[in-house]
Amino acid sequence: MSSESAFPDRDSHSPHPEATPVINVNHLTVRRGQHLILQDISFTLLPGTSVAFVGPNGAGKSTLVQAMLGLLPRAAGTIEIFGRPLTRLGRLQQQIGYIPQNLLFDRNFPISVTEFVSLGWTPQTLSHHLPFLPNLERTDAVNTALRRMNILHLRRQAIGTLSGGELKRMLLAYCLVSPRRLLVLDEAFAEVDVQGEAEFQELLKQLMWEEGWTVVQVSHDLDMVTQTCNHVLCINRSLICSGSPTDALSPDHLIATYGDSFQRYHHHH
Amino acid sequence: MPNPDLISLLHLPFMQRAIGGGILMGLLCGLLGSFVTLRQLSFFSHAVGHAALVGIALGVLLNIDPTWMLLPFTLVFGIAVLYLIDHTDLWSDSILNIVLSGALAIGVILTTFIQSYRGNLIGVLFGDILAVNGTDLTITAVLLLVSSAIILTTLRQQILLTLNLAVAQVQGVAVQFHRYLFVVLLSLTVAVAIKAVGILLVNAFLVIPAATAKLLNQQFTPYLLMSVCLGAVSSVIGMVVSGLFNFPSGPSIVLVQFLGFLGVVAWVKLVHQGVVP
Repeated sequence: MSSESAFPDRDSHSPHPEATPVINVNHLTVRRGQHLILQDISFTLLPGTSVAFVGPNGAGKSTLVQAMLGLLPRAAGTIEIFGRPLTRLGRLQQQIGYIPQNLLFDRNFPISVTEFVSLGWTPQTLSHHLPFLPNLERTDAVNTALRRMNILHLRRQAIGTLSGGELKRMLLAYCLVSPRRLLVLDEAFAEVDVQGEAEFQELLKQLMWEEGWTVVQVSHDLDMVTQTCNHVLCINRSLICSGSPTDALSPDHLIATYGDSFQRYHHHH
Repeated sequence: MPNPDLISLLHLPFMQRAIGGGILMGLLCGLLGSFVTLRQLSFFSHAVGHAALVGIALGVLLNIDPTWMLLPFTLVFGIAVLYLIDHTDLWSDSILNIVLSGALAIGVILTTFIQSYRGNLIGVLFGDILAVNGTDLTITAVLLLVSSAIILTTLRQQILLTLNLAVAQVQGVAVQFHRYLFVVLLSLTVAVAIKAVGILLVNAFLVIPAATAKLLNQQFTPYLLMSVCLGAVSSVIGMVVSGLFNFPSGPSIVLVQFLGFLGVVAWVKLVHQGVVP
């Protein structure tokens, strides 16, 4: 078991070990009131890594994601993204895509799919500030993203009318509309059907391998993790272990993470 | 009885100022109201409006023009309430109820010290758009310009933080800055609108046009435009109704907005039931 992890990777797509880390978490501790939620977590992610956070319910995976993105205060430790402290990211912040576990919003919010995805378009021009003025370049980018997520036909629909799976597709389209370097998905596929999940994973591989994105996923699907991620962090209040899927998901590590009663459940797709 | 001499009424300078003020306020309240409705801030503006009574009473007691007392008072009050909401573990409606009741109590007690002004309390509660003067028009116009510039140039940030705070924050939206900035604009708007429509009706201006537009739109741009237009148009129609029937102006505008809202609710219902295509 290790409490620290810095990785190069297992396969031919492994990132360059000397590149600036995309994320560097050092001795992160998070408390909620008196309760210790995460203790002394350290890891480094290099560009092009696809990493999964796994662990039982209540292990602190979502808390780790939120603390990593600056959405939760931390009791101790430092976090750097793209080599800079979280508070000094400036415009680099727009290169982060984030899909939360539950996107809570007013279902009657009057905004169409196209309008929402347009908000993800971030070139620093006037139309960046006036997102609904006509702009050909943006329209193209938005339509391409919608087509890539197979939801072009939904573009005029209000976002409140979408199903859970369609909503996740729209959020991913939002992330795709401008180039990003880091994509953080907190159980993004919980409401997506099997076919959709396979498509998503294929897309994530493309983003990672062809466009150099770093993808961080919280997931309960260990088979999916084995197939698509090149690194795994096992978390249960602290970092139990970290390594390639084969190492990190070995029976011993899984029992250490999930407890003695753990039995690996295989998804049959 | 209907007033047949509406045209000559429209030639009177105070009537022209009132219509101008009504249009400006309709535009301003329609613009901010579109976000007030989506962010569920209507009770917030309601509380700020009632607290304004303290500002008016203080102004009279200290011999300061109530207009100039109202603006800083509602501003400070609005920011203080948002700060309280952010820094206590209570739900915002509890905080708002507490400060609303507290402010109202202080306001009413203060007014008992003002012998000469007590008779005008009804004017403060319901406003008088016919008393709008050049200064009021200028303040409203400036506030409209500033608000439009801020809202339109930060539209992306405003929508993101209204939809989901976490997503907005990760995207680098200065969430707290924009929340407070919006409350500043909203508090000043409440202060400006109180003179015209009074404490009791100011919220109608902020909520009804936007809520009506929300019922009719599934896209943001048309929603925003319709909310702004309904604000202005309802002001003009309300003023005409008030002139024709000798009704008080503020309540006439709100009545027009209210009837419009009811009409739209009925229309939407009929469309859903397939009665209307």
